[in-house]
Amino acid sequence: MLEVENVDVHYGDVQALWNVSFRVEGEELVSLVGSNGAGKTTVLKTISGILRPTKGSVSIDGIRLDAIPAHQIVEMGAVLIPEGRRLFRDMTVLENLEMGGFIDRARKLKEQNLKWISEIFPVLRARLRQTAGTLSGGEQQMLAIARGLMSEPRLLLLDELSLGLAPLIVKNIYDTLEEINRSRKMAILVVEQNVRLALKIADRGYIIENGRITGGGIGSELLGSEQVKQAYLAIG
Amino acid sequence: MLHFAQIFSYGILNGALYGLVALGLSLVFGVMNYLNVAHGGLIMLASYVTFLIFSSLHIDPFLSILLVTPAFFIIGLALFKALFQSLMKFNETEKIKNSLLISFGLLLVFSNLAILLWTADERAVTTTYTGKVVQMFGVRLPYIGLGGVALAIIVIIALHLFLTRTYFGKAIRAVSLDHEAATLMGINVNKVCLISFSIGFALAGIPGVVTSLQAFNPAISFELTNKALIVLILAGFGSIKGVLLGGILLGAIEAASVYLVGTPYREVFGLLLFVVILMFRPQGLAGKRL
Repeated sequence: MLEVENVDVHYGDVQALWNVSFRVEGEELVSLVGSNGAGKTTVLKTISGILRPTKGSVSIDGIRLDAIPAHQIVEMGAVLIPEGRRLFRDMTVLENLEMGGFIDRARKLKEQNLKWISEIFPVLRARLRQTAGTLSGGEQQMLAIARGLMSEPRLLLLDELSLGLAPLIVKNIYDTLEEINRSRKMAILVVEQNVRLALKIADRGYIIENGRITGGGIGSELLGSEQVKQAYLAIG
Repeated sequence: MLHFAQIFSYGILNGALYGLVALGLSLVFGVMNYLNVAHGGLIMLASYVTFLIFSSLHIDPFLSILLVTPAFFIIGLALFKALFQSLMKFNETEKIKNSLLISFGLLLVFSNLAILLWTADERAVTTTYTGKVVQMFGVRLPYIGLGGVALAIIVIIALHLFLTRTYFGKAIRAVSLDHEAATLMGINVNKVCLISFSIGFALAGIPGVVTSLQAFNPAISFELTNKALIVLILAGFGSIKGVLLGGILLGAIEAASVYLVGTPYREVFGLLLFVVILMFRPQGLAGKRL
């Protein structure tokens, strides 16, 4: 469904991505792994319209995302859970969720989606009236994901959700995501510095280095490959 | 003691008006970091419009709010498109600086336009209730002042409900907290800014009605902008809830200075307070944000 083709991205004069191409199919969970500064976040920001490609195209089911305003990309079914969560800290948990479901299509399904959210993230249910900034780190990450889910996406883009969280909480969140991926048939693209974790859960993975895609394949196979072992897992 | 009570209650009545004066400025600043110092000029223009509506159509100033606010909303839409939209791409500090320059230009244009159209003479709308007072515990409270307080309370509650109970109002708060995150939620940030800016203009129409009932002339533009900025500092930049309290605090301080040193020094104390707070609590007395 998501197709990124030959994309270049510049920050002013500085080029950040070179000829990036990859795809995510309808029910896949795909990981994009790479070290700090490799261009992972840039890829996600380009898909969600915050950044614009200087060359190439980004499309969902054949519809060009790079040609429409950023706020309309949510309506196309792609939603980004940004790095650092970017919650509306002074607003309540419920208000954050309502903002997640701001687009017309999602507003009609608000009650139904709230019910679903409180099933997958029970901790949020008791905290609906609480200000988002008062939640713990793990709860904030859950809220960030839940906020994205409120828009009823077909493609969920996740940027570095493990950052600053305890391993057990990260594992719980990834379990939930795998469950959503399976039960809702929602495509998920995960960007992650924790290479082992990201490739373990993924159907397929891509490796990005210095703004270029340098490898790709089945998640488990990639995890066993020499390239990944040497560069990221410090084995071999 | 009665003398003090009288001065103090005038101070509170004035203060509620100051809160109303600062409301639109605070909203616009909170949402998009535009410091629209032309706000006082808009209120002055609203006073003239109210005066003209009263003298030609004999519509009571408090009723003419229903005409003045939509008209100013539309002026807001036009001026945003013409002058302020291009600032959206700048960062926070650049937005403040550039909007300050543009709106200061507008403030000069507005006050000179008013002199050209209506001369610098002082005017006031004179209604059947002008000069009438309510006596309470020996203190005289003018109808117009009480009307201003009621208006301030109603408008602030209405704005608060709009910002906390409607999708669009919540989107305004979301945009004020994080433009990029709001965009990622599918919120059209440009549209939200356009509408909030115009609501800020519409909100200038409301205190304009009250000032039309007191003496006004083109020069009140500067005085009103001045008061609004002091209230903003007292309330915390961009804080809607703090605005009424900030206004009343300023009114009370002015009243105290009138009582202690005399009327000519009233403005001095407001400005002194402005400087002192900026020195010791630059983030404002209360919290931040909408």
